[in-house]
Order: sequence, then structure tokens, then C-alpha cells
Amino acid sequence: MLRYLALRLARAALTIVLVVTFAFVVLRLSGDPALIIMSPEAPVEAIEAFRHAWGLDQPIWVQYLDYFRAIAHGDLGVSFRDGRPAIELVSERIPATLALTIPALMLKLGVGIPAGIHAALHRNSTSDRLVMAGAVAGFTVPSFVLGLLLVLLFSVQLGWLPSGGQESWRSMILPVITLGFGGAGVLARFTRSAMLEVLGQPYIRTASAKGVPWRQVVRGHALPNAAIPTVTVVGFMVGSLIAGAVVVESVFSWPGVGRLLVVAVSNRDLAVVQCILLLVASTMVASNLVVDLLYGVLDPRLRAGATAGAH
Amino acid sequence: MLSRRTLAGLAGAASLPRFAIAQADNRPVITVAVQKIAITNTLDLLREQSNVGERTSTLINERLIDLDWFNGITQVPGLAQSWRRIDEATVELSLRRGVKFHNGDEFTAEDVAFSFSRTRMFGDTRPDNGQSLPVSSAYLIGAGSKELPAEIPPVARRAFPALRGVEIVDRYTVRFVNATPDVTLEGRIAANGSEINSRRGYDETDSWLAYARKPVGTGPYKVREFRPDTMLILDAHDEYWGGRPPIRTLRFVEVPEVSSRVNGLLSGEYQFACDIPPDQIAEVQRHPGFEVVGGPILNIRFTDFDKSNVVLADPRIRQAFSHAIDRTAIIEALWSGRTTIPAGLQFDFYGDMKIADWRVPEFDQVRARELLRQAGYKGEAIPYRLLNNYYTNQVASAQILVEMWRQVGLNVELSMVENWTQVRDRSRPRGVRDWSGGAAFGDPVGGMLNTFGPNGAGQATGEWRNTEFDQLCVTIQTSTDRALRKKLFRRALEIAEREDPAYTVLHQNATFTAKRRDIAWRATPSFVMDFRSSNWGNAIRD
Repeated sequence: MLRYLALRLARAALTIVLVVTFAFVVLRLSGDPALIIMSPEAPVEAIEAFRHAWGLDQPIWVQYLDYFRAIAHGDLGVSFRDGRPAIELVSERIPATLALTIPALMLKLGVGIPAGIHAALHRNSTSDRLVMAGAVAGFTVPSFVLGLLLVLLFSVQLGWLPSGGQESWRSMILPVITLGFGGAGVLARFTRSAMLEVLGQPYIRTASAKGVPWRQVVRGHALPNAAIPTVTVVGFMVGSLIAGAVVVESVFSWPGVGRLLVVAVSNRDLAVVQCILLLVASTMVASNLVVDLLYGVLDPRLRAGATAGAH
Repeated sequence: MLSRRTLAGLAGAASLPRFAIAQADNRPVITVAVQKIAITNTLDLLREQSNVGERTSTLINERLIDLDWFNGITQVPGLAQSWRRIDEATVELSLRRGVKFHNGDEFTAEDVAFSFSRTRMFGDTRPDNGQSLPVSSAYLIGAGSKELPAEIPPVARRAFPALRGVEIVDRYTVRFVNATPDVTLEGRIAANGSEINSRRGYDETDSWLAYARKPVGTGPYKVREFRPDTMLILDAHDEYWGGRPPIRTLRFVEVPEVSSRVNGLLSGEYQFACDIPPDQIAEVQRHPGFEVVGGPILNIRFTDFDKSNVVLADPRIRQAFSHAIDRTAIIEALWSGRTTIPAGLQFDFYGDMKIADWRVPEFDQVRARELLRQAGYKGEAIPYRLLNNYYTNQVASAQILVEMWRQVGLNVELSMVENWTQVRDRSRPRGVRDWSGGAAFGDPVGGMLNTFGPNGAGQATGEWRNTEFDQLCVTIQTSTDRALRKKLFRRALEIAEREDPAYTVLHQNATFTAKRRDIAWRATPSFVMDFRSSNWGNAIRD
């Protein structure tokens, strides 16, 4: 088990290094922060001075080594635009993003999973078709379209809710619904498929034939077995809690990590972009790790297999 | 021992005056939605060299000489009541008395000298050598330092290339002393970057960055809070010398999406929505309670040529580009006719220095084809690197231009790029590109000559150079003979726009602001938003 865990951790660390390296190379080769931040009309001397002050006149490999040396010392760099440590800037924005993504995740789980179970248990019924139509709409309508439609209806036409900003708790309602709707659709589809597959298994038929009440069959046999694919999807959703609201934050002018990422990328604020990517990659990797471990908890066969492999 | 009733009475009495004041201040709180508050996340125009920075700067910091945006952008008294020439290199200004900074201090000559000091603007640069830079100091902004960011001294020196210093004559009189004769000194004093700051305000702030985010000026509004990339909150400066500001609190909120700005305006959250593209004007005005104001501004869009391209080296090819453009069609199609074709890269506010009879090259496809034939053009591909709507309507304009050029036989290949580094990349052949230009002050030296002259960005990128043009720039900048300067400026236009084109003008840039119709307010022909009492409510109603 320890070897299994160590292998997973090593793979996770490699993934993070690869993500950060890729971002470093792409960002540095695709634009000069000095020109972007200072405007193309700025005096050449001013642009040169900026590059020198920030070490951008060094060869890229020197910059890369410096960057990793700094990370090893816990220094994630300083923002070109803000002059403050990148981690400070990102940390300031995380609560705002989580204020949207956590309720949205609750919405996804609270609506998507029960809807998927209901649809599977009432396969081919009207309610199944309605749920699936809603689910398809949820994950096919882009979030910026849904967001704008909700704003047009609830802000412009009815005047019930704010169209954007972070003025009060009411400002959260539309972005949370926008974020949650698509995810709920995805979860409903996955849950339904997984449930249908499990419900068709011989052990379900056997349990029913033995006279086990249907409710108990579903709870005791179908749901645990159908949980694995659903947990995988939920793992991705948890992993994207920090930067999973880029579009929605832009549409609703919500000052979270997503908007910071957009601004930082467009300004080539390298330290901030890399700090966010590092956090996102770490969250995603950690989430996947937890999901992997959960597989073992949910399915004893996997646990046994991992242990056997370790032997 | 005080009784409960007495205490209650005292508490009530203590709260009365405050309540009365609050009741008396019935000025509105106004929210303005903008695409961007500041590119650099500072409110200092020496660092924030952008159009959007100009929008809020003048509300906070003022200049000695102001510009009357509603009357031909003429120079008018600002923090200086009057000014006079001592000689060709010196201007003396009498300061306005009784002006209060946001921190309550009186504005004096000390603050002017400080604002134009080495500490605040010029660093180690010298007036006779604008190129010297303290690049050895690896200074990081925000490190708690008062040292200027490395890029500010060169920016300041470009604004005042030969300023030797500001002399204090007395508490209310200063002299700007130049190292060389300069007829444009007053214009420079009225331009972006010449804002007056409180000396004490700066001294009492911990770092340059902290001050640049909460500057202490004399303007009608003072900074309460600046949340980078999110919001700027300004409060009325009730001791403002120009009259009590009409708005109690002015909030600029950053709303990157156009549709979100429009929706927020229509739903009543914002009273103003800036940066409205022309195709949204009709949509806003469909609602009876709203209107769109604004129009041409002090900025011109043009197509820039790279003379180092082997095909474009022949000026006849570039001339053909100019004659192939139907500018009126572009304005009608993309701008709903709400902007104009300027008389070349020059502005009305140049006053008598403007060449009034100058025109851009006429739309003449026959002539364009003839020029290409004479040049022996064989249809070689000419690259056109394009940013995704950095300028309003940029992509649509580019597509129309390419088609217009194709009609006369020019083979222009569009390629989308992401940023200015890629636009200017010299490792691959460059051809034509988009650009825009304004004027820092009312003289050609502040505009086209600055952009394409010896120290301008046009030459720094290696795109264009003309020896005669360079000589003209030097003479125009240092001569005090107005008639000669005007004659030479005409010649400079002939070279840069007709003989050996550096660029070809497309149209005047324009900016539009959507607002509630019942708010009486005028847009300036720039990004500057004037929220003083003279531009609000009854002051401008018929």
C-alpha cells in the first residue's frame, strides 16, 4: 500500500513539474510582459529598463532555473503589475472563487446525483426523458450563454437580482446557478449511465429474485457499485474548485481567481499565472489522489488488487 | 450621577449634527462600468501610459495648465491662474491661491517643484541626455521602496526632454526652465504626466506603489479605495477650488464583458457604461431611458508600413495601399457614420500649426493599380499581423482593408497574433500592421513627429526612417519661428503620408459611453470623464 501511495505521489509531483514547465515556456515565448504592461508606445529605454529590472533580459534557461530555485525556497515570485508576492494576490482571490464554486458544487451534487438515480430507476419514463433533456441542455449550453440569459431575465427584465459584482449575497445567486447547472447535467448523465449498467448486472437480479426489497437492493448493491464513475467526475469537479469559474467570473464581473488568471495571462504577469497553475495542478492532483484512494474504499476488489500488486 | 434619560438625551444631541449633515448631502452615488480601470494597477500616469488611465486621473490629480475639452481643447488656467514667457526657454506660472489638497494641505510652489523633481519624475536622467537610465538598480515595485520604478524616468524625460528644473520664485510663483528653446513647453505642462502631487502626501506614504494607488491631489474627487482589477471608489473633495463636486461617491467598477456592462446599465446597477462598441449603440438606445454619448476622440487609427519589407521598400507600393482604401465605406459600415476622416495625422487643437488644407490620399483604385504596375509588383504576399480587436472594430476593419487592397491587386495575408511582441517580431518578414496615435499636447511635436521622429517608436521598431524627415523633426522641435515650423511640418506630412509613406490614416478613433438619459452630462473628445459641477446637471441643461 505504501509503495502504491509513493508511486502515486511521485506521479503527482511529476505532473505538477510538467504543468509548470509547460506554462513557463509557453508564456515566455509568446509575449514580452514589458511591451504588454507598458504599452507599445512606451520609450524603448523604459521597456529595456523594465526587462532588466525583472530579469527578463536573461536567457530563458537562466530564468527557468532561477524560477525553480525560488520555488524550492517557497518563493512563488512577485507580480510585475502589482509588485506584491504572487501567492498573496492569489490567496486574496481564493475566498471569492470558493464562495461561488463550493455552493455550485453542492448544487451539482444535490441536483445531479438524485436526478441521475431517479432517471435510471424510471428508465424510458416521461420523467427520465425530462431529466435527460435538462441534463443535455445543462452541459451543452455554454456557461456564458446561460449566464447572459439569466441576467437578461432576472436582472434586466424582472429586476430581481444584480447582474454582476460582489455587492451582497444576492450577487452570488446567478453565477452559482450558472456554474451549477452545467455540472449537475454532467453528473446526472454519468449517474444514470452507471446506475443502468449496475442495474443490469446478474447480482442485482439475484438479489431481487431472493426477495430482497427493491429499495434495499438499490441502496445496498446498486448505489455503491455505481458510485465509482460518479466519484471520478466529482473528483474532477473538486479539483477545479479554484480555477473552474473563469468564464462565469468574467460574465458576472466576480473578482475571483478566474478573472485574476485572465488578466495575468493577457498581461503576461508570469509569476501570478504560474502561481495559479501550480495551485490548480496541485488541487487537481490531490483530488485525483483522493479519488484513487476512494476507489479502494468503495470497491474491495481494487484494494485487494493493489495489495496483491504490492506483494 | 447621570440618569438614563439624561444620557439618552445627550446621545441624541450628539448624533443630531451628524444626522443633519448626512441629510443635507443628497448628492448621488454614481457607478461607472468600465472595461478596465488601469492596465498597470496604478493611478500614476507616468506609469499608466494608457487611454483608460486618463479616464480617472484628472478626477484626482490636476495640472497647472488645464485643457478645455469642450472648446477646441484649448489651454485654460488650471492650478496656475496665469503664465507668461520669460524667454524662449522659460515659462513663469502664477499659482492659484487657496487650493486644498485632499489631505487638507494648501497647494504651493513647493508641491510643483516636488512634482517635477528627480525624486518624483526624472531619476538620474539629464535634460541634455534623455537616454541615461538607472537600469542597474534591480528595483521591484512594492518592495516598500520610494525609489521610482525603472521605467518612469525615461517616460518623464520623453515628456520633458530638455527640462532643467522648476525654480520656486515665491510661495505662489514657479518657473519652468528648459535647457533649450521650446515653444511647446506650455503644452507639455498641460499634458498627461504633468499632474501635481502633494509633497507631504508622498512623503508620508510608505512606498512609491502605495502612493501611486492612493495619490493625494487637488482634483474634485479623492481616492477612498482602489481594489486592483476590480473597483476604484472616489469621494467628493468638498474643498475643491472649482466648486463642490456634484457626486457624493463615484465608483468605477471593472466589467470586462460588453454585454455585462450594457445589462448592468439597463438593470439600473450602473449609471454609466463605458467602452461601448458601435454595434451596441442601437441596442442601448432601443430603451427609452438610455442614450449613448461620445464620438471621435484625440486619437487616429492608421495602417503602419514596414519599409524594411522587400516589397514595401518601393514607396509606390505603399502609396497604392493608401489610394486603395475607401475610408468612408469603413466608417459607414463599422462605425455607423459616427466618426470622421481626419486631415492626416494631425489634430484641430494644433491651432495655427495645423495644416488646414491637408487631406489624406484620395480613394482612387485606378491610380493604385497604376502605381503597382509602375513598381513592377507581381503579387508577392505582404504579411499583415493582426491583434484580436485591441482597437475597436480592428478585425472587421482588417478584413475590409484586405479586400479593398485585393481589388487593386495587392496580395495581403492576414495572420492573427496574440500580442504586440508577435506583431513586432522581426524574425519573420513584417509588412503592414495596425496602430493608432494621438498627441500629448497641441503641437505636431507632441504627435506625429514624436511617433515617427528619431526617438519615436516607429523608428525604434525598425519599420521606417527618412533622413530628411529626421532633420525636419529636430528643427521643428527646437525652432521658435512659428512660420518656419509650420512650413516644415507641411513638408514632414508630405514625406510621411505621400512621398515615402510611413503610414496611411484610416479614421479618427471614437469612444462611446452609454448612460441614463436623465443624467445631464457631456462626454469629452477623449477618454477623460469630467464629473465636475460645470459638467453636471443644471450647469449644462438648456
